[in-house]
Amino acid sequence: MYIIGENIHIISEKVKEALKVRDSEFFMDLAVRQVEAGAQAVDINLGPRKKDWEEVFPWIFKAIESVVDVPLSIDTTNFDGIEAALKTVTKAQPIINSTSAEAERLERIPVLAKKYNAKVIGLTMGASGIPIAADDRINIAVESLIPRFVEIDYPVENLIIDPLVLTVSGCQEYCPQLIEAVRTLQYAWDPAPSISVGLSNVSNSVPTEGRPLINRVYLAMLMGVGLKMMIADPFDKKQNEVIRIIENRDDSSAVGKLYLKIADKTAAGDELSIDDVDLSDPNQVDIWKTVQILLNKVIYADSYLSQ
Amino acid sequence: MPIEIPKDKWPGTIHTVTLGATNGEGGTRSKTVTFGGETTMPFLQFEAPVPHKPVVAIEIKDHKPEDWSLLLAEVWGAAMTDPAEWAKAAENAGADIIVLALSVNDENGNPTTPEKAVGTVKKVLGACGLPLIVFGPGQVDLDNELLVPISEATKGERIVLGICEDKNYRTIVATAMANGHLVTARTPMDVNLSKQLNILITDMGMPADRILMDPTTGALGYGIEYGYSVMERLRLAALQGDTMTQFPMIVTPGFEAWKTKEAKVGEGVPGSWGDWKERSINWETLTAVSLIQTGADIVVLRHPESVKRVKYAIEELLMA
Repeated sequence: MYIIGENIHIISEKVKEALKVRDSEFFMDLAVRQVEAGAQAVDINLGPRKKDWEEVFPWIFKAIESVVDVPLSIDTTNFDGIEAALKTVTKAQPIINSTSAEAERLERIPVLAKKYNAKVIGLTMGASGIPIAADDRINIAVESLIPRFVEIDYPVENLIIDPLVLTVSGCQEYCPQLIEAVRTLQYAWDPAPSISVGLSNVSNSVPTEGRPLINRVYLAMLMGVGLKMMIADPFDKKQNEVIRIIENRDDSSAVGKLYLKIADKTAAGDELSIDDVDLSDPNQVDIWKTVQILLNKVIYADSYLSQ
Repeated sequence: MPIEIPKDKWPGTIHTVTLGATNGEGGTRSKTVTFGGETTMPFLQFEAPVPHKPVVAIEIKDHKPEDWSLLLAEVWGAAMTDPAEWAKAAENAGADIIVLALSVNDENGNPTTPEKAVGTVKKVLGACGLPLIVFGPGQVDLDNELLVPISEATKGERIVLGICEDKNYRTIVATAMANGHLVTARTPMDVNLSKQLNILITDMGMPADRILMDPTTGALGYGIEYGYSVMERLRLAALQGDTMTQFPMIVTPGFEAWKTKEAKVGEGVPGSWGDWKERSINWETLTAVSLIQTGADIVVLRHPESVKRVKYAIEELLMA
């Protein structure tokens, strides 16, 4: 699993504070620790920086690149900021995060990516938002996103399609559709673009203590359909353990065996059955209940595990 | 060519709930009302028998409301100034249940006191034989201050206390449990929040046959499709076996419909809108009947003519 580390994000109070005082050390340390924890790229989201982009983007990318060798992901909606970052980066091929299929962004971002030889994350989102159905999201990829890159002779292998994970708390009907979108997108074009998702979005607005389990179970399902790249928290040990179990097919623990089963059944287009679960093991019961909400079989509620 | 109508068979059942208690049952009601028990979607009697009909409640207030439509003031007349008279008139108008909605202030503009609220509830219970639902004024502290003594003063009557919301349900559920009453749980048009509140109330130990849920709805033309979809989703989940959605649904189409310009206003609207009174009653009736189609077990109405028409629609749909 190729993890793009998500932790340098302006939504974090610590990041906000460090940015305010231009604490380079904080960002360098956070980048190094993410790479040490297994991140193969580092996402940097400091917001649009409409007023100070000229100073902030070169500063942050220079600082982080001085301590890590992995690709850096430029996560902003500010077009000038993206270009400033692209001009700064010298080591690994950077990633532009992101473009949607909306006309204006799709006009400009691919050209920039080509000019600076950057990878790009393309979101399956058009002017009218994010469609629910997997097929509609795939259509955005094959009818809008990919053709635009092909049109300017941009290598499709450098394109990363993100079919957009939405939260189980409020957008539950999107959750099973995203799994199918990941499955199908791999065969949607030749050569195939990469596919990446923002995993933790699946548990947005879920109470904090409930988020990791939902993320992990969804991860097992997505790995089952072939997900190999994601923006995620590389410090999440239990998540990394699920990745290890599925990649190494380690069925030595009961819970590990269940995660493998989830991946395999999802791969086969089947659903986990209650017979696959040892109901005397509370951990397995929680995983079963989580599968049910993620497949939109049972309505999500914050206390779904206690039902 | 014979056409075979496809039939669904669902694993889940909605809880059967009885409201009110007669003399022999520890209350003073002349009759009780039972609803719920569905094993399929509404009016699909070819799939499964309909155990209980949807029922119609009429909403009354503790004193004459100043913000209600003139048409409602006209039809209820002087009865509106006395909750006992109003309840009696509502019973005569065909209500199955009385909903008494308490106000923040009394008719003199002073805050409604617990003594006054208890007095009003007792007057209403004394004046008519129907089961009763009591809604607090909708302010957390005041609701609790009024509903607890009402609950205690009416022990055994099996009234419904409302409205439980995610910010305020513990006190209401506790007093309802202690005094043999029911509760209604309201959430703002959201399946996740609706289910969550049901779980929280159930976790307190409230028996499943004493919980109603109000998923909230909008009037015709004002978001009814959202409310409709939320209710449909909750009911389908219930029939599929989700135990935390298997509660009868109560909705307030009267409140919603009479807020709309189409119902409320008689002047300054296009002539093509037609007769004001007829339009208003249609608005309330159509809102209510639509919601019954998606699984409402209790509709709370305001105009007696709407009550008549909604009940007629229910009878017709049950014979189809």
